[in-house]
Amino acid sequence: MAEATRSGNAMVWIRLLSLPLAIMAALMLFGLLEPRVLTAANLRNIAVQTSFLAIFSMAQCVVILTRGFDLSLGFCVSLVSVAAAMAMVATGSMVYGIAAGLSVGLAVGVSNGLLIGGIGLNPLVTTLGTSYILLALASTISGGFPVPNLPAEFSGSFAIARPLGLPMPIWTAAIIFLLLFVMLKATRFGRSLYIVGGNPRAANAAGIPTFAVLTGAYTLAALLAAIGALLLTARTGSGEPNLGGNLTLESIAAAVVGGVKLSGGEGGVGAALMGALLITILSNGMNLVQVDGYLQNIFLGLIIIASLMISRDTGRR
Amino acid sequence: MLNAEGLTKTFGGVTALDQVDFDLRPGEIHALLGENGAGKSTLINLISGTYPRSAGTLAVDGHAVEHLTPQLARTLGIAAVFQEFSLVPELNVVQNLFLGRELRQGPFLRSRAMRQEADALLNRFGFRVPLDAAVADLSRAQRQMVEIAKALRGRSRVVIFDEPTASLTDGEAEPLFAAIAQLKADGVAIIYVSHRMSEIRSISDRVTVLRGGKRIGTVETADVSDAELIEMMVGRPVDELYSSLTLSPGDERLSVRGLSTRSGRVRDVSMTARAGEVVGLAGLVGCGRSELCRAIFGLEEVAHGTIRYHGESLHAPTPHHMLRQGLCYFPADRGAEGLALNRPARENVTMAGLNLPALATGPVLKVWTERRAIAEPLEKLGLRPMAPENNAAAFSGGNQQKLMLARGLLKDFDVYLFDEPTVGIDVNAKRDVYALIKQLAEGGATVILSTSELPELTHLATRIYVMHEGRVMAELGPDGITEKSILSHYFGEVAHA
Repeated sequence: MAEATRSGNAMVWIRLLSLPLAIMAALMLFGLLEPRVLTAANLRNIAVQTSFLAIFSMAQCVVILTRGFDLSLGFCVSLVSVAAAMAMVATGSMVYGIAAGLSVGLAVGVSNGLLIGGIGLNPLVTTLGTSYILLALASTISGGFPVPNLPAEFSGSFAIARPLGLPMPIWTAAIIFLLLFVMLKATRFGRSLYIVGGNPRAANAAGIPTFAVLTGAYTLAALLAAIGALLLTARTGSGEPNLGGNLTLESIAAAVVGGVKLSGGEGGVGAALMGALLITILSNGMNLVQVDGYLQNIFLGLIIIASLMISRDTGRR
Repeated sequence: MLNAEGLTKTFGGVTALDQVDFDLRPGEIHALLGENGAGKSTLINLISGTYPRSAGTLAVDGHAVEHLTPQLARTLGIAAVFQEFSLVPELNVVQNLFLGRELRQGPFLRSRAMRQEADALLNRFGFRVPLDAAVADLSRAQRQMVEIAKALRGRSRVVIFDEPTASLTDGEAEPLFAAIAQLKADGVAIIYVSHRMSEIRSISDRVTVLRGGKRIGTVETADVSDAELIEMMVGRPVDELYSSLTLSPGDERLSVRGLSTRSGRVRDVSMTARAGEVVGLAGLVGCGRSELCRAIFGLEEVAHGTIRYHGESLHAPTPHHMLRQGLCYFPADRGAEGLALNRPARENVTMAGLNLPALATGPVLKVWTERRAIAEPLEKLGLRPMAPENNAAAFSGGNQQKLMLARGLLKDFDVYLFDEPTVGIDVNAKRDVYALIKQLAEGGATVILSTSELPELTHLATRIYVMHEGRVMAELGPDGITEKSILSHYFGEVAHA
């Protein structure tokens, strides 16, 4: 038994170091190929891009920890974007728009949570189902077109403003990161996420209210997605029914590449953040060295598969 | 027939098996005895080719075997029946027996031929198992039979049994022993791993004792006493596993009237349990005693009847509620229901008590005192290694059990339900479990002990309910508890034994 622990520890170290090393290596490689990669402007760009993706991958992380998935995340982002934009245009008030967006997120999260946690439906299929509904709603209420003419203060506050010199997305991602980090380490809810993901039956037998934990997890994930959606909407300056198209897969990919285990109960927001950083650097670098778009996706796909293989090895005992 | 010298296996820097000699004669039953982590599993994994050895030689029929793989082992006629069931629960018996080695004609399965062969295979050992039943619907004993039959398809000359009776009761193990006796009569050599001294005594010819990865000795079973074997195994004399309990039962704390579960596994059961007593639940595996415990704890749906706890009726108990009301349940199946194996030991200890003042203030965990809170319970139970940050999966069976039991020491519970607390754990860990039960009951707690081990009941219980097919067949008082009296109700109305 001791041998398993020792080699397990070695693998944990390899795993802990492999990601920062991969990130450094990717930066240096692209920096050598294309000097523009390492300019201050591009690094700032990477930081902002990473912040967006990290918000979504941290949301995904919360449910993956419980052995779940949120396939509806991307279209939830679309619906929030459209709904918030329409509310803003209709009322002329940014606050109502934000409230509408967050309410949509809350509603989506609670429904996912009740279906999965309360009734016990399979998360994969359930969120696949809701994602269709969300996509249809987003397209229908917007008529399929972007919703323009948002109040200037909205973009002003969330896309252009730079409190203490840092853009809002970076602030938001950092605050979410800190809050989730503390939540996962030091609250009963956070601990329960890990235990439910580690072994749902054992969690139940230990008196952990699994249905409440799952409902909470999906609600939290959708709320985080809604916050990310509002930031993205502020950046584009209009409500976009297609805003979330790729975000579901990218958020899962970032979490998995970072080392959040799909088998549940292992990983954390640090992993989700690192994964988001690596994927952003790779996309950014490949864009700058002008790698063909389809080829980029092939690389990203390979990296996801490779990271799954690494985490599978450490999972063995 | 099989001769191994200096077998050594290292994992990373750790030596799991150190220079072990082992030989096997045709038609002998050779028992392997040792605590969890002594190297038994490693040794049989080397012999069955699961792991490559790090050093040493292995010869079969005098021919040295260099690189043993599971395929080569099978060709040589070495078969292993492992603890962990390798069956697919959704498939039926025939499908499982031929899993991955189906009989085919071109692309088509030869269903009838497989059925016939399966029937013959099971009949050879006198196993009565319905061929078309899904494995999920079989009893544990029947699954074990299928497992054995599957391993013995084809010619075997060496058969390894790894704790085949760990999940069976004495009655259920009978067909297994008959099958082993038949293999022996056919000249097959058998390696038999078990924790049960009585089995080793009754079936084995020789015993090899391992401790800490080293071979302590190989002896003729007839020449040694149990005490000598245990001493070889644990490295010091073991006075007595059980020490006597001095109990003074108090008021009634828990009572069950006419309880039936929706699953039908518990039927019209009535029982009571008082403060400061150990109530035994006896019966075959599957007789409903586990389900009775689960129903009281809220893991099994109640159809009829009442559960009264501290004088109040419980309508729909839930684990969450019962734990807060001072009732603690330790499930029989550690892996499935007890532990989150990929989480640290520390979290596995505290998971059932995250509401306790020592561990949390409202929703916030006191992470900085958590380690201190679990130190004493783990110290008391003697966790080895004392490494609460290691994942639960890294501990041996006995120590995993201790992680679970430590939950019961985080606060004083009124009632403790133990379901098969010593399944698959070694002698030392068993003694720790018995000491815990003694200490809890003497401290005034109610202990309900559901177990297949008759000695546990005769030594620990003050009263015993014997169950059969979901019903209580008999209640035995302090004066009437003997293995014989328990067994006489084991098989229902018909007096047995």
